[in-house]
Amino acid sequence: MNAMGFAWRSLVRQPARASLGVLGVAAVGALLFDMLLLSQGLVISMRDLLERTGFDLRVTATDALPGQGPLIPNAVERTQAISQLSSVRSAIALRFANAFVLAGGPRGVYTTFQGVAGTGAAHPWTILRGRDVTAGRPEIVINENTATRTRLAAGSRVMLRASCAGQKQALPPVPFIVSGIAQFPFDSPSGTTIATSLQMLATACGGNETNEADVIMVASQERAGPAVAVSDVAALLPDLHVLSNAEAVNRFERGGFTYFRQISTVLTAVTLSFAVLLITVLLTVSINQRLGEIAALRALGFSRWRVVADVFCESVLIVGGGGLLSLPVGALLAIGLDHILKRIPGIPADVHFFVFQPSALQVHLALLSATAIVAALYPIRIVARLPIAATLRDEVVG
Amino acid sequence: MSTTNGHIVEARNISRIFPMPAGPVTAVADVSLEILPGDHIAIRGPSGCGKSTLLHMLGCVEAPTAGTLLFRGDDVTQLSDRQRSLLRLRQIGFVFQRFFLLPMLTAAENIELPQSEANVPKAERRQRTHELLEYVGLAARAAHRPSELSGGEMQRVAIARAVANKPGLLLADEPTGELDRATGEQIASLLDRVNADGTALVIVTHDPALAERSTKILSMRDGRIESESTSA
Amino acid sequence: MWVRCLLALIGAALIASATVQADDTLPSVLISRQLSEGERLSVGDVIRLSASEDGSNVQQFRIAGIYEPTPDPARLGAVIREVQLHLPDLLSLTREPSAPSGSEYVQTINVALVDPNDADAFSRDVRARMPGIDAQPATGAAESTGPFIVLRRFHLAIAIVTIVASTVFLLALTIMLVDERRAAVGVLRLIGLPIHRILLQLFLEGLLIAVVGSAFGLALSLLSEGIINRFFQWRYDTALVFVRVTPQVAAVCVAIAIPLGVSATVVASWALLRRNGLRLARR
Repeated sequence: MNAMGFAWRSLVRQPARASLGVLGVAAVGALLFDMLLLSQGLVISMRDLLERTGFDLRVTATDALPGQGPLIPNAVERTQAISQLSSVRSAIALRFANAFVLAGGPRGVYTTFQGVAGTGAAHPWTILRGRDVTAGRPEIVINENTATRTRLAAGSRVMLRASCAGQKQALPPVPFIVSGIAQFPFDSPSGTTIATSLQMLATACGGNETNEADVIMVASQERAGPAVAVSDVAALLPDLHVLSNAEAVNRFERGGFTYFRQISTVLTAVTLSFAVLLITVLLTVSINQRLGEIAALRALGFSRWRVVADVFCESVLIVGGGGLLSLPVGALLAIGLDHILKRIPGIPADVHFFVFQPSALQVHLALLSATAIVAALYPIRIVARLPIAATLRDEVVG
Repeated sequence: MSTTNGHIVEARNISRIFPMPAGPVTAVADVSLEILPGDHIAIRGPSGCGKSTLLHMLGCVEAPTAGTLLFRGDDVTQLSDRQRSLLRLRQIGFVFQRFFLLPMLTAAENIELPQSEANVPKAERRQRTHELLEYVGLAARAAHRPSELSGGEMQRVAIARAVANKPGLLLADEPTGELDRATGEQIASLLDRVNADGTALVIVTHDPALAERSTKILSMRDGRIESESTSA
Repeated sequence: MWVRCLLALIGAALIASATVQADDTLPSVLISRQLSEGERLSVGDVIRLSASEDGSNVQQFRIAGIYEPTPDPARLGAVIREVQLHLPDLLSLTREPSAPSGSEYVQTINVALVDPNDADAFSRDVRARMPGIDAQPATGAAESTGPFIVLRRFHLAIAIVTIVASTVFLLALTIMLVDERRAAVGVLRLIGLPIHRILLQLFLEGLLIAVVGSAFGLALSLLSEGIINRFFQWRYDTALVFVRVTPQVAAVCVAIAIPLGVSATVVASWALLRRNGLRLARR
């Protein structure tokens, strides 16, 4: 009987104890797996979302994030200039505001309001029903939440009162026609969003700033890549700030996202310590209860390394069994935790906190393997240094 | 290269001293003896006289503090732990007072275990195990675990396990210590049979009836062999 | 010669006096500690501020003090480079030259009430009287803010998983500990002690272990509270408190730990005591 078979029989001899050990490892292993997913999940998800919009550069007036800094003057001309660079496929100017859609209630529905300008470029939303807005026409697209709350549909007429940053007076409502229902990639689950052309947004905002935008979004040519496009745009417009998707994600990571990285690190350390403690205690107590048997095996000719291998294999079986079980448990737990965290206000619906990566699985397996080894060290020390004759004597006396 | 003059074990002035906080304790002092193939030796004496310690030294479980101990001509004290383990696995068998069968294995698996460790091929060890179970009269209990066996049956399995690798020497430490008289008698007869089949046997016991079955009786007191007698 | 020296001294004093008076006329600002450390600024320094990137409309200010920014979890990891100005100074700095004075606006007005308990009523009154204005009581803002509620739920979920794992661990341990005493328990059963008598003893032992363990756990949590807070305050250069063991938290933990510990002992013991005493006593 080899060491693994021997270890298996030793474990099933005490099924309650072995089962609890496996379950304990499964529980902490699930938490460990989830923390590994969380450590990079948000960053990966945000990066995917940014890339899915089809734009890989963002140009702003200052180093503030889009929508948080001053407007870019002469945005339309600058967008056209950027789109003519050889390394650029397309560019659009985007401006953010807010608006009250005067429907669905006495005060209306408060929404995010976007205005877009740019030729030959796809808009940063997907039309679900109806059609897209036409530049220069008082048309808006609205998202599903807005449509539900205002009971508007494609073709509906509606009045809009804009609320624009820097505006010093109350703005009059402006009439619009809903041209279509759209899906916006950065919408939160309960978010309300509407969009129109940049010109019509400026009109709704008082008509004074028709050529300004919060951000110019740029899609680079595939053959050139974002790095080349960044340097080309920076050379063309040195007074503006250019941010690639990777750099944007980097900034997110250094900012608010860092909390989740830290908590995942702390909880990873805690769960690993817990698992090591659990397995070490289980094995040590188990071995202490059968020292006589182990001494007898040594007396019968089992080598020191053989009995050490038996103990190590027990650790591997408990951690291995628990580790395997931890994966489906961890996956279920991740779904639940993700569901909780996605309720943070402002988090886009398509962003997830727990994202599966093969590297997380590899790290998980590596950490569990290390746990099996470390947890077995003390019990192995006991059996390796077991004084055979003294133990046999003690067993008789005891 | 070792030389042997036919002795299985040759002990010359071996001693075993245990360092204790209150002062060293001499468990075995200056003992010399020889074990030849086929010997049937009993070591008897009062509790604490060092008989088990002497047995452990003869079985290469414990090294002497002083003196020379040769096993088939090899100086045991010069062997590594691994070499001593191999020696015990292939050439020495142990029977304990408390049996020390592995409770999670069946009787057959307990007997197979040392053979498996000695890399005996599967078919061969299965055959040998079956033979040994027949030999000890427990062929029908092969699939039973120790918890399902009586004390005498467990000791018979232990004896079968001890001779599984056909050792030249069998050491038994109080083999009937936890058994009643009748069962002890059965075990004693089985051990006699093992000896008669060619295995040298050394038994530690304080049971006079068991000792009388040996051809040579060594009486120990205070770590020394006080007297040596042969039975008729 | 001594006349020339005297005149030079008087001139220097006048210049120094003029400088001090010029500093005194400058508007004062407060800067954050992080800005002070990053730019090596100290109290009394004169700085120039501009609201535009091209440096137009520059104005001079004197640093009157350095403050520690209010810890803001939403800005964790950010280096808080802040300047606090008097509102007229800020408006003067940020006003467009063409905009008439008095057309400025603010985002928020903080109100301190004579009686804080009037906050809800006051908020309702303001909202009713001034449409378009939103008034909210400040107390409970942290509780009602979405991210904190979500994070609390997240931490609660993690805590539940940890408790489940701890329970499994505890059960495994108590089963082993009780099993070690099976022979003694078997003998007690054989000599006639009833099950409930032995169970009571084991229950009391479990209770003692649970109480001592809980006390030790609390001590450990208080120790780690200090370590974790110090580490993360150093790591993020913030005064935020990350972990706080309140009496309520401690009470909840103890209320969970002690019954769990006792229950695990009783469950493990009951599983053992159900067996035959002879089987227990036999090794």
